[in-house]
Amino acid sequence: MDKLANRLREDAATIDAEISAQLDSRIQASLNAIEPETARRHRVPGRRPVSFWLASSLTGVAAALAVIAILNVVDTNGPADVSRTVADTTVQPIELPAIDLDVEAAMLTGPLAQELEDLQADLKKAEEVVRGDVRIDF
Amino acid sequence: MSDELKLIDAAKGGSVDAFTELVRGYRESLFRFLLTRCTSHADAEDALQDTLINAYRYIGSYNPQWRFSTWLYRIAIRNAGKLRSSNLAELGDLADDSADPLAHCIADSERANLWRSAKRVLSDEVFAAMWLRYVEDMSVRDIASVLERTSSWTKVNLLRGRRALEVEMNATAGNTGSEAYG
Repeated sequence: MDKLANRLREDAATIDAEISAQLDSRIQASLNAIEPETARRHRVPGRRPVSFWLASSLTGVAAALAVIAILNVVDTNGPADVSRTVADTTVQPIELPAIDLDVEAAMLTGPLAQELEDLQADLKKAEEVVRGDVRIDF
Repeated sequence: MSDELKLIDAAKGGSVDAFTELVRGYRESLFRFLLTRCTSHADAEDALQDTLINAYRYIGSYNPQWRFSTWLYRIAIRNAGKLRSSNLAELGDLADDSADPLAHCIADSERANLWRSAKRVLSDEVFAAMWLRYVEDMSVRDIASVLERTSSWTKVNLLRGRRALEVEMNATAGNTGSEAYG
């Protein structure tokens, strides 16, 4: 072993780590107050008596029989009710009022055409101004 | 089946006596390690108590593929970390080195204790890695498991820790200055 490892081991040994009787009893008391998680989990099934499992099984069987009986009763009356329900809930088609879309289009076309003419006139004026400027430059 | 595994099985079944017997050989070395990690002697005692309580409570989760000491140190480091962070949060700026439990627990000696220097120049994790390697003789794989790091990280930081402590060791012998690593 090298010098550093020896030194580290020796120096660690000089650290006093004696556990006092007070700390020891404190730890022991804490340990006695708890139990491992697994021990608790394992013990729970063992505590249940046989009658618990018998009662659980009987309850399960009774519930299954009850469900089967209810389903059989529903089957004997069911089809007539279903057809009536379907007939009652049929919705009649509603006639929607016809909208004259052409009128709306004609109303919008007038202002837009005017706007287009104005824009084209502005464009023409701007073009003439630019041409004039170009002639002045050259 | 080894004696240790028998004791572990008995402890899993709820035997406090078996658990006490199981940890008897580890208690002192654990406490020594915790004295280096905690901010006071009382904290180290609390950390030891918490470690043993948690180990007993959750012994069912112990995986025998690892050494029992590896598992125990992993719990100890977590407990010490929790205690330390809560104490530092409470003390804030009042925390100082005068409460260092190592200062009171180291036997008088002509030379400086290298672990005190290690505490000063190494980070907590590198310090722990060095302790586990050179005091507990743990393998790199076990140290990596305790610190929840990779083996590569552990190897690199053990090397850095060694270099830093060699510098410290030479400095105490009157050769060169110290340098912080980790």
